[in-house]
Amino acid sequence: MKPKILQIAPNKIELYWKEKPSDVLLQHLISWENLLLSTSSDKLLEIRKGYQTLSCLMKDPLSKSDLLGFQNLISAPIKLEALSTKVWEIPVCYEIKFGTDLAFLAKTKGMDIEQVVEIHSNKTYRIHFYGFLPGFMYLNGLDPRLHFDRKEIPDRKILSGSVAIGGAQTGIYPSESPGGWHIIGRSPIRFFNPNFEIPVFGKAGEQIKFKPINRSEFEDFSQQPSLLFNND
Amino acid sequence: MIKDIGYLEVLKNTIGASIQDQGRIGYANWGVPVSGALDHRSFSLANQLLGNKESDAVLELTQPGLICSFDEYALVSFAGAKVDILLNSERIGDHQTLPISPGDILQIGKFILGKSLYLGVKGGFQTKVVMKSRSQFQGITPSPSLQKSDRVPFFTSHKSYPKSTASVKSTYHWFEPSEIEVYAGPDFEKLSNFEREKLLSNPFTLSSASNRMAIQLDETVTNSLPDLFTAPVLPGTIQLTSGGKLLILMKDAQVTGGYPRIFQLTTEALSILAQKQPGEKIRFRLATIAHY
Repeated sequence: MKPKILQIAPNKIELYWKEKPSDVLLQHLISWENLLLSTSSDKLLEIRKGYQTLSCLMKDPLSKSDLLGFQNLISAPIKLEALSTKVWEIPVCYEIKFGTDLAFLAKTKGMDIEQVVEIHSNKTYRIHFYGFLPGFMYLNGLDPRLHFDRKEIPDRKILSGSVAIGGAQTGIYPSESPGGWHIIGRSPIRFFNPNFEIPVFGKAGEQIKFKPINRSEFEDFSQQPSLLFNND
Repeated sequence: MIKDIGYLEVLKNTIGASIQDQGRIGYANWGVPVSGALDHRSFSLANQLLGNKESDAVLELTQPGLICSFDEYALVSFAGAKVDILLNSERIGDHQTLPISPGDILQIGKFILGKSLYLGVKGGFQTKVVMKSRSQFQGITPSPSLQKSDRVPFFTSHKSYPKSTASVKSTYHWFEPSEIEVYAGPDFEKLSNFEREKLLSNPFTLSSASNRMAIQLDETVTNSLPDLFTAPVLPGTIQLTSGGKLLILMKDAQVTGGYPRIFQLTTEALSILAQKQPGEKIRFRLATIAHY
């Protein structure tokens, strides 16, 4: 699972992989990211992640020797770091009032609502990276039985905290936004707080697990998630 | 030392007005867009004219209609688009810096050349810094843009500034060229020769459905590019959708995307594009990356 490099602009260079997203690929991405941050932090502005990509923004245009440095770096084998063991518990109220598309999704798939909730909440999801909106987690691991094509006509307004399914992915809208995913519930957790230097609670490599709660629990719930498991 | 605060008060607001600076670097990891001035070149000039810091915040205007008043002495600058500006109902001509007295009223009128005007103030506008930047963005700063009755703070010395005797020539022809320089994007090599030919020889028209997140182009380019796994994108990244739509991502664009990334604008090209009006035509020219 070796990365290749591609220079996109004078000060932008990417490491990319062909393998499909998986825990192992994520492990490679995070290990390479940490290596780059520890060896080149004086030259790096920031590193961004995608499912198969590490995008490095440099402070200055890359020189010939910088490029050679990158080529040498990726030709050496990487010492893989273990992924985090942290699992964040995300309370979700799957009731119809919050999960406005839940009944439709269940019916179309020939399932009970209870079955959909059970499948959605009985496993963990790996956080791969953030994007789309501040605090939006790209999660991996949605059960294929729940895969559901995005809406042809997106909703103009999806409420903050809405938990949704779109294509082969599930995710949580961290703020109000238009969107084409199907809403199956809502979480009282705050997923993004710009007042903190690190405005989110979950990091790439950690996992989340949805916990069904009822309406009155939703109203009482704190905005901070708790750690279901941590062996880091 | 300048310590007291004066206020620019918004008497009549307009859309497309916001406080901007160099943007937020280092927060894309959390899904936070870069934001910042659309035309970095003119934003820098607005600050340089006043001897400001590079990171000082300015007011970015992309539509006519703003009317504002000042309650203290200030020195302001104008850079970017050529705009009809009235100071106390008198046209100010192509002044690049302008002394302001308490009670002065500025009116931003018609955009004659260009699309983005930068109004700087000596010392910079002192609005709230969130994640190392004053650039306004929904869910990050208290407001997503300039609001009616806003009072925007700046430092004042309580003394009037002398009128500038230096005559600095305003230039607008740097953003006239219709040729836009781009580097090949990560997915450029996936395009067929025919698709590349079409992209590099046809003119494209800027759509009116454009904003700080993206400039859309009217003409489509049919293609057979596959949908890709979500990858990082930057301001200046040009995406080509499966439906053939070209999207030029600008400063408020989301930081990731699943559409093929076919081009990356040069920094200069991004500033030029920020000065193009809807309806204007552009052509892409492929540039190679130089190495030293």
